Amino acid sequence: MSTGGWAGKIIRVNLTSGKISSEDTSKYQDFIGGMGIGYKVLFDEVPAGTKPYDEANKIVVGTGPLCGSGVPMSSRTNITSLYPGTDMNLVTDSHMGGNFAAFLKYAGWDAIIIEGASSKPVWLRIEDDKVSLEDASSVWGTGIYNTTAVIGSKMGKESCVAAIGQAGENLVNLSVIMNGSSHSAGGHGAVFGSKKLKAIGVIGTGSVKIGKDKKELMDLDAYVMKEIVGANNQHVVPSTPQPWSEFVYENSRWTAREGLTWGASEGNIDTGIAAPGDVNKVGYRTMKAIKDLGPVAAKYTVRMGGCQSCPIRCHAQMNIPQLEQYGVSPYAANTCMGWFSPAGVMFKGTKDQKEEGDGNMITRALGSQLADDYGVWCNYGSIGRDFAYAYESGIIKKVLPEEEYNSIPWNLLEAGDPAFLKEFYRRVTFKEGEFSHLGDGTYHIAKRWNFGADYFDTKKYSMWSPLGFPKHHASDESYQVGAIINCMFNRDAQSHSHQNFISSGLPVDVLKKIAEKLWGSGDAIDPPANYTPMNEYKAKFAKYGVIRNCLHDSLTLCNWMWPLTASPLKERDYMGDTSLESKYFSVVTGIDTTEEELDLMGERVFTLHRALTVKEMGTTDMRGKHDLMVNWVFDIDPDKKPFTEGTIKMDRDDMQLALTMFYKEMGWDEKTGAPTRATLEKLNMKDVADELAKLGLLPA
Amino acid sequence: MSETQLILRGAISLSNNEKKGFLDKETTRREFLKLSGKGIGGTFISLSLLNLLGCTNTNVEEVAAFPLAQGVLIADRARCTGCLRCETNCSLVNDGKAMPYISRIKVSRNYNFGTDGPKLAYAYEDGAFGNKLMSPETCRQCAEPYCGKACPVGAISTNEIGARVVDEAKCVGCGTCTKACPWTMPTVDPETMKSTKCVNCGTCAANCPTGALRIVPWEEVKYAMRKLGYKA
Repeated sequence: MSTGGWAGKIIRVNLTSGKISSEDTSKYQDFIGGMGIGYKVLFDEVPAGTKPYDEANKIVVGTGPLCGSGVPMSSRTNITSLYPGTDMNLVTDSHMGGNFAAFLKYAGWDAIIIEGASSKPVWLRIEDDKVSLEDASSVWGTGIYNTTAVIGSKMGKESCVAAIGQAGENLVNLSVIMNGSSHSAGGHGAVFGSKKLKAIGVIGTGSVKIGKDKKELMDLDAYVMKEIVGANNQHVVPSTPQPWSEFVYENSRWTAREGLTWGASEGNIDTGIAAPGDVNKVGYRTMKAIKDLGPVAAKYTVRMGGCQSCPIRCHAQMNIPQLEQYGVSPYAANTCMGWFSPAGVMFKGTKDQKEEGDGNMITRALGSQLADDYGVWCNYGSIGRDFAYAYESGIIKKVLPEEEYNSIPWNLLEAGDPAFLKEFYRRVTFKEGEFSHLGDGTYHIAKRWNFGADYFDTKKYSMWSPLGFPKHHASDESYQVGAIINCMFNRDAQSHSHQNFISSGLPVDVLKKIAEKLWGSGDAIDPPANYTPMNEYKAKFAKYGVIRNCLHDSLTLCNWMWPLTASPLKERDYMGDTSLESKYFSVVTGIDTTEEELDLMGERVFTLHRALTVKEMGTTDMRGKHDLMVNWVFDIDPDKKPFTEGTIKMDRDDMQLALTMFYKEMGWDEKTGAPTRATLEKLNMKDVADELAKLGLLPA
Repeated sequence: MSETQLILRGAISLSNNEKKGFLDKETTRREFLKLSGKGIGGTFISLSLLNLLGCTNTNVEEVAAFPLAQGVLIADRARCTGCLRCETNCSLVNDGKAMPYISRIKVSRNYNFGTDGPKLAYAYEDGAFGNKLMSPETCRQCAEPYCGKACPVGAISTNEIGARVVDEAKCVGCGTCTKACPWTMPTVDPETMKSTKCVNCGTCAANCPTGALRIVPWEEVKYAMRKLGYKA
């Protein structure tokens, strides 16, 4: 039994009856927490065929035993529910970093199970063990920023608030739940909205207990901070030549260098030479504003920021006075796609205002500000690509009523004026007209507006699955390994375990040596755009990637940093430490757990996801109906052959072999890719096997 | 010497130039008031009483078996990125659990809206929802400690190295220290009913990922204050 980590209690709130009760977490201990709890609740309690906005849908806001313990990179909240992005009513996860997960643990809770639907707008108030539903009418109809401020003034400044904006209230499919000023979880905002749940506010004055001696925890931290941790995405090589590294990798997120400053900080703080081993400089390694907003952004950067417990700080915090001319605050914060997707909406480009590159920066920051307050999601950038295709193909002009079409300021879009974004996000948020269906998500809009097959078949639009979600580190970057992983979920994969290692900055021969130690052979690694046929080592690498992804979403740990597969230290042959999750788990929970044992728990969680998908789709034919890839994956570069230098082109038969080998690794039926009874029982999920058997959904 | 001890030692081996550069940031009255008191009508920290070297908290000695150079813990808010690792490290080292509520450095309570909480114009005030500046609050180790003077059982005293420390054997958990402190720094641990306050162990500073925290020896503080024209 554990002596630390878990809080031991889960809140269950029924919004129909208003009943709030407490449950024991130990029922879910085999699934760890977070994603594991989410899938178990959905499998057991939400019947197949339930739709995302039905009262019968449930939404699980989960943390894990490591949240709040101080383990580095451990405050992610995993939100599990049905996903409105397709019409197949499949389970997905969304994730938000920030402080929420840790604060929920300090309040004494591991997760919140939300069921039913309220007839009036409410918010959930959690102050340690005092949990109540409050009237949200004063904030319903307002944005996330205002909601956070109002709840902060009701609960106390120290509260952490997770909220939806007007987009979620209006049941826009592409909506978020956000905590803090930039940490948003995409895809489930409207599930909250359908339940009239506006926000969750948390204050916690309790503690997370450590099962073993805290000295062991501090020693692990010292080891990680000095020898293992890199920069954002666990990149371990600097982006410019540095005295401490024999390698350079231009795309690396380890951007710190002399002369690169937080330009809007008091004292113009220099990121400097942030060498490995210098514990007090880890937070300077990832100066990400210049990567996300362009080199011009350095002088507008107040600081870097991010989630509780994380030393990496990958969210740029900006002061851009030009934003005020658009009626929004000059202070904006975000990371990665939160900045990129508005630039995708302004697909004609952006016009510079006073200096080179500021048009791009202002566009991204304005879009971020608008989307984060309205609570609009981008579907990992697809919203902009859906729009670009519809506009450029003439579809928009055809499907919009003439009056509506003429009311939209297309001249702003054409001129690269970011003021267009105000129209875009407002229309999507408030469901104004036919245009606003861009907020439905690719699957729906492609049907509604009759997109041609070329939308899915052209790589530029980044679609991955005919089920309607885009690629996220797939075959384009990581050959069969990325391709397999991208087929596995019901939205974009959000899995970085494999890609972080491949893009860590280490040369291919170094990667191959590490791969040999971890997965049996350097053949698990292909150089960029110079791929080779499938082999068993790639299957093992893919399994590692997806298992760790699910493990981290259950523990929880940040999937943009963990696993720490590589290290920045030459003395270690750049080898990271893949046993760290299990070491931290053992110290924090007090339950001695080996790396293999913890991975098996991750495998259990991922296999449950697969079983749930089988149940929701009503078929075992995962290979034929679910693990699908669009045509550009195989048909790109028509004058080139797969597995030759200079192309990312894959081969259809080879990919089917890849799936077969992966199914074998997972102990799934090799023909269909569905979990077998033997595997489910081996993973202690006999109840899941029995339920699938009842429904005729176990493979023959 | 363990890794942890090495890290703690590293935090205070700053060159004199680095320490002075750190203090030169105290350039405005507002910054100074953070040091000596906000709106308390001219109370200055009297340095004559303080002679600082190490700490006597027995928990900390397990990880730092040698005295550390002491002074006052100062936060450079421009460098604070709100990671909150100082809070969990403080409570892990001093109390054996992760509990920001009793952390002796206070950052998370000001995270969204600064020390004064949400205002109508929150977008322009301190905090994540405003100007993005964090407000890390540190114990001033006051010469005339409000907490110590208010404690009805005399549980707070100055030890031989100058830190104001709570004697847990005497503490009755009444919370008077919390109310007396103008900055609400001491916190009664609801799990033990004992007050917790900063003892200058240096754990937070040693492990801050951006070096935003320094324990600056009192002589250096005195030097900086005099340079800026204050009585010290």
